[in-house]
Amino acid sequence: MTSPPHTPRRRSFLQAAGVGVGALLAGAGLAGRAEAVGGAPRLRDEPFRLGVASGEPAADGAVLWTRLAPDPLADDGHGGMPRAGYDVGWQVAEDERFRRVVRSGAALALPELGHSVHPQVRGLRPGRQYFYRFRARGHTSPVGRFRTAPAARSARGSFTFATASCQAWYHGHFTAYRDMLDKDPDVVFFLGDYVYEYGITAANMRRNAPLPGARHETETSTLADYRLRYALFKSDPDLQAVHAAAPWVLTPDDHEVQNDYSDEYSYYGLSEADFLLRRAVAYRAYYENCPLPALALAHGPDARLHRRLRYGGLATLHVLDARQYRDPKPADAAEQRAPGRTMLGREQERWLYHGLRTAGARWNLLLQQVGLVRVTENRVDQWDGYPAARQRLLDVLGEPGVAPSVVFTGDCHRSIAGDLLADFADPGSPVVGSEFLGTSIASDGDGAPTDTYTKDWMQHPWMTFYDGRRGYVLGHADADAVTAEYRAVPYVQADNRAAGFALDRFRVAHGRPGMEKVS
Amino acid sequence: MTDTTRTADTAGRRPGSGHPHGAVSGLDAAGGLGVVELTWRPYRTRGRQLVDHYEVHELSAAGGTLLARTLFPHHTHLVGPELATRRYTVVAVLDSGARTRPARPVAAVNERSVAAGRAVAQVGAFDHRGLEFALSPNLSARYPAAFPQDVDFRHGTSDAARDWCYLHPGPADSWAGRREHTFTLRFDLPAAPERDLGFALWLIDAHATAAGTAELAVGGRAVTTLEFRGGATRGSLEGDATRPGSVLKPSYYELPLAADLFAAGENVLTLRKTSGSWIAYDALGVFAPE
Repeated sequence: MTSPPHTPRRRSFLQAAGVGVGALLAGAGLAGRAEAVGGAPRLRDEPFRLGVASGEPAADGAVLWTRLAPDPLADDGHGGMPRAGYDVGWQVAEDERFRRVVRSGAALALPELGHSVHPQVRGLRPGRQYFYRFRARGHTSPVGRFRTAPAARSARGSFTFATASCQAWYHGHFTAYRDMLDKDPDVVFFLGDYVYEYGITAANMRRNAPLPGARHETETSTLADYRLRYALFKSDPDLQAVHAAAPWVLTPDDHEVQNDYSDEYSYYGLSEADFLLRRAVAYRAYYENCPLPALALAHGPDARLHRRLRYGGLATLHVLDARQYRDPKPADAAEQRAPGRTMLGREQERWLYHGLRTAGARWNLLLQQVGLVRVTENRVDQWDGYPAARQRLLDVLGEPGVAPSVVFTGDCHRSIAGDLLADFADPGSPVVGSEFLGTSIASDGDGAPTDTYTKDWMQHPWMTFYDGRRGYVLGHADADAVTAEYRAVPYVQADNRAAGFALDRFRVAHGRPGMEKVS
Repeated sequence: MTDTTRTADTAGRRPGSGHPHGAVSGLDAAGGLGVVELTWRPYRTRGRQLVDHYEVHELSAAGGTLLARTLFPHHTHLVGPELATRRYTVVAVLDSGARTRPARPVAAVNERSVAAGRAVAQVGAFDHRGLEFALSPNLSARYPAAFPQDVDFRHGTSDAARDWCYLHPGPADSWAGRREHTFTLRFDLPAAPERDLGFALWLIDAHATAAGTAELAVGGRAVTTLEFRGGATRGSLEGDATRPGSVLKPSYYELPLAADLFAAGENVLTLRKTSGSWIAYDALGVFAPE
C-alpha cells in the first residue's frame, strides 16, 4: 500500500515536526529491536485498568493491545505511569488457562506512545479461537480472546459480526455492549466516534453518574486532553468487556478529532496550520488507545486508516476513511454537485474501486462512516454532500463481476436500512447494494422509536427501516446471505442494566440484490 | 512455539530518555488593548515525536505562574485595563512527558485602556468575564420575557445581575424577535465635563459570522457605528474567556466622547444593535482621564 501524497502544506508540517523522509519510509523503528530498558521504577498499582483488546483479525493472527495506566485519569494523560519504558510480555494460547501457549513475545511500552503496545501476532491457525494476556512488572492482565479469520481460500462456513458507533460516554451507559457480549460475535466493526471532543459539563451530561471533573470540562485540544478522554470513555466496563471478547476493526469519524472536520478544514475557527497540529495529536491518541495496525500510526497529521481485510473467500472488508481526504462542505448547490468533488480522496477512491473489482470473495463489506444512501440535499456532511463521488462508487458497485456489496455505516445515531440504487434520481433503477446504518451506543441518550428525522429518511421508496433508540447491528455472513439484525436497549441514561432486544432483521441474498425482511 | 522477538512501540526515541534537549525559540510578545499576543516558533521534534502542548508562564520576582497550556505556537494573554509590563516564557511538553528548557524570556507592555481612568459610569468588571450579568451564562432564551422593553440601566441604583443582560441580541436573532434592540445606560453628572471623556466596551464574544453593528449615541446624538469583530459563537452559552481551554473570542472597542455631548444632570448613553446577531458583554463604561 502506498501512503497518501503529501501536499506542500503537509510537507511544511512534517518538516516542522522533524519527521524526515527516511523515517517515514523506514517506519521509524516501529518493528525494530528494542533497546535495553533498565532502571524503570516498579509499578505498585495494577497497570491494566484500561483493559486489553485485539484487532485486525487475519487468518494467521491479530493485533493485540493494552496500555499501561495504573491511574488512567491522571491529569497529565500518562495514566499514572513513570516516564520510563517497560517490557510488556504477551502470550497467546489455545486454552483459557494458558496450558497450550502457541505464541509469546515482548513489546516495549514507551511514554512517547502513552505506554501502549500493539504486538502483531502471526503464525496462528485460521478460524480458531485463541486467548491472550499481558504481563508487566509482576502484574498480569485480564485474559482476552479472539477468533482468527477463516483460511484465505475458504468460501465455506460463516462468521458473525457486530457493528457499533458513536459512544458519547456522557450521554449514557454503554449498555448495548452487554447485549453484544451475550451474542458473542466473531468480530466487532467500530464505525466511528469512539470518543467525543466536547467539554463534559452539567449542560451535556445525561449519564446518571458523577461529572468527571474540571479536567474534562473543556474541548479536547492537546495530546494530554485526548489521552484523558480515551481513558474516561474506556473506563466503561461493558466497553472493556467487548474489547476483551472479540477482535475489533475500527475506523474513526469526525469526533475523534473535531465535529464535522474535512481534511485540514475545521469549522470552528481554527486555522489550517493549527488544525493540522490538532489532527496530529488526535490521530496519535486514537492509535495509542485502539488495537490498530502499525500502519495507522500517524506521520504528523497523516495516518493511513483505510485498509482491506479478508474473511477467507467469504468476504472482503473494505475499511474506509471518509474524513481525512474529503473536500470541504460545499458553499452552494453548484459546488455540491461539482463532478470532481470527492469524499474519499482520489487515491483512496482508486484503491477502493480496484479492490471492489478484484477482491474475489463472495461478498464486499464496506465499513464506513456517514450515510451513503440518498436522504436530503442539506445533509452535506454525509454522502448527500458529495453526490458525484457517490455516483462513481455506485457505478462500480453495479459493474458486472463485482461481488455483491453490503455497506455498514455509523454516524447517524439511528438504526436505518435502505437499498442503494444505481441512480437515485430514478427510483426504478437497479439495486446495486444495501446499506445498514447502525445507531449509536450512547450518543443522544435514550432515544425513541421515531423522532424529528424519521420523515426525512423514510420519505424514499428505497428505505426500509428506521428506529431512534440506542443499540447496534448484529450480523451474520455466509456464502448465501448477509443478515443484519437491529438490536436496541430501551434506555441508557439511568444505568447499564436494561435488557437488549431485537428490533427487526433483514437479509441480503447472494445473487438477488436488495434487502428483504426476515420474518 | 515461542516468538522471542521483542518489538518496540516507539516514537523513534530512546525509552525513558530524560531531558529532550533544546528550548522553544522565537518567543515574541506584543501588547494590545486588553491582551498580550505571544507567538513562538513550533518546537522541532525528532522522529515521530509530537509536542503534546506548550506551557505559557508569566514570570515575576516571586517566580513563574502557569498561564495556559496550548497545542498551538501562540497564545493570547488576557489582561486588565491598567498599563503593566509583563515577562513571559514558554516550555514545550513532548508526547513522552519530557519538557524542554524554558524559552528565553520576553517582556511586553499592554495598551492602557480608558477603563483604567476614573469611572463616570460603569457596568460590569473589565475582566474578560460576563458572569455578573443577568441571564448569564446561557439563558438568552428568557430575554424576551425578562427584558420586554430592552435594557434600561441607571448607574448607581441598577444591579448588573438583574438589570443588564449578558447578551445583546441583534435584528438577525429570531429568538429575540428579529428586531433592533437598544440597551440604555443612564448616569448623572454634577456638572458638564471640561475635558473629553472616554468610552470603553469590552466583549467576551460575538457571533462568529454575523457579529454585525451597533450605533452608539449620547443624549440622542449618534456618535459612531461600531462594527464588531466575529467571535466564536460560544458567548451565548458560556461566560468566562479566562477559563482554561475557553474558545471565546473577546474583542475591545474604545473611543473618546466629546465633552459637549454631556451636560449636568442625567445623561443617557445608548447602544442600538442595528445589524447582525448578538454580542456578549464583558463590561462597558464612560471614563474620565485621571
